[in-house]
Amino acid sequence: MKLSYLFTPALAFALIQPAAADAQNPIASGAAMAWQCAPCHGTNGQEFLEAMPPLAGMPAEQFIKAMIAYREGTRPAIIMDRVARGFTDAEIEAMAYWFEKQPVKQWENTSLTESQNAQKSNSTGGQQ
Amino acid sequence: MSQLEHKTFDSKITRRDLIKVFGATAVAGTGIFGASSKAFAKDAQHVVVLGGGVGGSTFAKYLRFADPDVKITIIEQYPEYITCLRSNDVIVGMHTLDELTFNLDTIKSKYNVNVVIDKVIGADFDKKTVRTAKGESFSYDKLVVSPGIDFKFEDYEGYDAELAAGKFPHAYKAGPQTLELRRQLLAMPQGGTAIIAPPQNPFRCPPGPYERASFFAEYFKKHNPTAKLLVLDPKDRFTKDGPFKKAWERLYGYKTDNSLIDWVSGSDGGRVVALHAKEMVVETDGGDHKADVINIIPNQRAGKLAQELGLTNASGWCPIERNSMESSLHKEVYVLGDSSIADAMPKSGYSANSQAKVCARAVADSLKGQAPGVAIYSNVCYSLAGENYGVSIAAIYEVRDGLIQPKGKSAGVSPITDKAAQPILEAVYQKNWQREFVKDVFS
Repeated sequence: MKLSYLFTPALAFALIQPAAADAQNPIASGAAMAWQCAPCHGTNGQEFLEAMPPLAGMPAEQFIKAMIAYREGTRPAIIMDRVARGFTDAEIEAMAYWFEKQPVKQWENTSLTESQNAQKSNSTGGQQ
Repeated sequence: MSQLEHKTFDSKITRRDLIKVFGATAVAGTGIFGASSKAFAKDAQHVVVLGGGVGGSTFAKYLRFADPDVKITIIEQYPEYITCLRSNDVIVGMHTLDELTFNLDTIKSKYNVNVVIDKVIGADFDKKTVRTAKGESFSYDKLVVSPGIDFKFEDYEGYDAELAAGKFPHAYKAGPQTLELRRQLLAMPQGGTAIIAPPQNPFRCPPGPYERASFFAEYFKKHNPTAKLLVLDPKDRFTKDGPFKKAWERLYGYKTDNSLIDWVSGSDGGRVVALHAKEMVVETDGGDHKADVINIIPNQRAGKLAQELGLTNASGWCPIERNSMESSLHKEVYVLGDSSIADAMPKSGYSANSQAKVCARAVADSLKGQAPGVAIYSNVCYSLAGENYGVSIAAIYEVRDGLIQPKGKSAGVSPITDKAAQPILEAVYQKNWQREFVKDVFS
């Protein structure tokens, strides 16, 4: 499996488009997948007060590296190895770019408008 | 996690231990919450949601994410909702019912959702209306039903809803029965016997009866060490049985002469067929058992509202289209959560939350005249085998060959290792998860 390219964000972003558009093997949208993470990581990944790491604003490269390491069993895990094994490279990337755009603040302090504006913006890499 | 390796299987973790493992968490966010109430256009499409529990509340919130303009109304019978999840904690005093009680105030104000406290008494699927006990009628473009479960008392001779509300609580919907079961556990004589009888598949919260069994045993270990719990099961296997039984061995002497828990499988005659209430005896395929506390968790079917609206099939559950949660029996009607037939997904709060999000996108797409996108579902169930001992099962799901099935190699239960850190951290995550989950549902 070729994984090295994933660690160059610009290139990875270029590669995600054909994967997402592949009619033979369509994937769920980044938002649809990211919503499934909310019960543990907070609505839109915006939970900063619990043991599970916040995902909102996480640089995409960090998210991609972590998820692939969980999936491949190279990073110690309690439960994330079992979760990560459900996702392909293209799906992990789609989630990574979606989470990167979310505001770095608690969900309960975020208004709907603020959230919607953040999703329209380009990736900001909130956690520098 | 080397810092945790000295821990034993029943030790507690401190915040200091956690910081050593994870590092201090940055705490961000002081913004001001500012939702405005917004008037809907007269011709706005209307989605009506029946049930304001985990499925209904999550659905309304996430439909607002998917569609800023649609009019959303939740009709819920009760002004407050007590989560069944973590209600086992209440039996042994780890949570109070108040801590598990939520309302729809934030859903109403932040997500601009109409909340009607009323009982639905009927629907007309041709005219697309629902009627309530207070005499109101609501027209809908889409109807979403998330009615939970109902109990099949008829499967047990001598057991009924009245006995369950009295001396024989099933305590499988959180509320007064949960408190009654707690009262009975605390009042048990020294050296007494308790019985928990789990249901046949499928049922709500598959690990629930076994977590409850673990809590009974932990309580006995501390307060009533000569007491015994008998688990009388109609099944030969149960979810996470490997990690659960290993925990019972480690914590409660399971498989020894002094075990606090005995588990009788279906093949060994564990199935309960009758309750002899006056005699405090449970009758099984394998004979009679007398006890001081009897907790029969009955077999189940879809919630009463789903049955009354004609959304169930011969199985007693609601068939759905796998990519949208739309009823297979009635167009424009969707069924979420425990009532739905979701194949490999367990009937859990997490599943209901997951299905609500898939459904919210599908409803928003359909209102725009589009086909639903690719569905992706997930479930994680954390259970406690002791206050500081967690076990979990997790999977991501996709629709494949017309069924909801585990995706990739994601499905799995907690590994059984000789390292105490795994179950200790799972217990920590379980507590984190509960706090976070209810926020994702209700706020």
